[in-house]
Amino acid sequence: MILNTDSMKPIYVQIAEWLEGEILSETIKEEERIYSQYQLAEMFTINPATAAKGLNILADEGIVYKKRGLGMFVSPNAKQSILTKRRSQVLGQMIKELVMEAKRLDVGESELNRMIQQVRKENEEEQL
Amino acid sequence: MSVIQCENLTKSYSKIKAIDHLSFEIEENKITGLIGRNGSGKTTLLKMIAGYLKPTSGELKVFSERPFNSLDVSANSIFLDDTLTFPDSLSLSDILTEVAPFYAHWNSSLANGLFDYYSFNPKQPHSNLSKGSKSTFNSILGIASHSPLTIFDEPTTGMDSAVRKDFYRALLKDYLEYPRTIILSSHLLSELEEILEDILLINQGTKLLHLPALELKELAVGLRGNAQDVLSFAEGKEIIYREEFVKGSLYVVIRRKLIQPQFEQIRQTGIEVLSVSTDDLCVYLTAKTKGGINDVFNKG
Repeated sequence: MILNTDSMKPIYVQIAEWLEGEILSETIKEEERIYSQYQLAEMFTINPATAAKGLNILADEGIVYKKRGLGMFVSPNAKQSILTKRRSQVLGQMIKELVMEAKRLDVGESELNRMIQQVRKENEEEQL
Repeated sequence: MSVIQCENLTKSYSKIKAIDHLSFEIEENKITGLIGRNGSGKTTLLKMIAGYLKPTSGELKVFSERPFNSLDVSANSIFLDDTLTFPDSLSLSDILTEVAPFYAHWNSSLANGLFDYYSFNPKQPHSNLSKGSKSTFNSILGIASHSPLTIFDEPTTGMDSAVRKDFYRALLKDYLEYPRTIILSSHLLSELEEILEDILLINQGTKLLHLPALELKELAVGLRGNAQDVLSFAEGKEIIYREEFVKGSLYVVIRRKLIQPQFEQIRQTGIEVLSVSTDDLCVYLTAKTKGGINDVFNKG
């Protein structure tokens, strides 16, 4: 992954999200050890304090937990809680913005629904 | 533990104060970026820390000692800048050999590894190197010395962008293995901010900010849109920077925490909320006027 330094998202949030992606794709499985702050610092050429802050976000949300003297491990229900969180936060925010933009462009409810259905259909056709 | 303690430090050159009542502390094993415009006092400050210059007044302690004329500070620190010179009788490889005994933690295999990686000619004298190559060579000395206090003054002057990236990566990798106190000065923050833990921003010899690099990135936001709408939100708040793109459209930079609760409302008005690059922010914070260079052209 390449960090986007111009993004509105701080680097440590990008680190946390990247780790979540690794857990979702099961590159790192539940109950397995996750990268240490020093490994992350080396991987992304960032200060270890930045990497630690990324890990702490996940620890605060219970996605990883600390085993004394052994490092950070992925929690048993990590995958599910990431999915739940992303659905409510990320998807929720996207929909909020979608609705706002539609309002600004004077796109009505049925028109918006039709556009969503259209994209869905295109995606399904691509997969066939 | 603080490696550098500095209180009301002042350095005057005749009547001009290069450093003016500066106070701060730098903790052990942190990488700090010293940022400031040309002539803001960065080099003067670093040279006092390294013991090259004597403070005019105030207190400066490095490893709990006054650095000027201190053997202890000299033995435990290294200062590198682009005015570093070596006698022409020494070739580059001689320099690496001769420098080693001065630094207790010198890592010669790392020095040689970097030397070969950058394809230096061992027989060449230091004075024949180009500006960029000199900086590259000096960076090898700085990294391989493993000095408990390592100071780089504008280390990337003249380096091409590939070498810059290599330098920052090499420095960080080595730091992870051998943590030590490192200060890097630069006027360009964006290229090194990821490896920094703290940032010290100075202007005209005084401290503007000293904070974790992560916080600087989130210190301010930019609002862009209809001038009246923007002003209605910015009203009564300190405006760090303002710029009028076209008539009726305004861009302002203000502190994030003053406005964060209103983000949603601001976006709904159609105003863009933008992140401010740390480089731009430092320029705005150290500017003498709120409109920058445009002010010169907008008179009358």
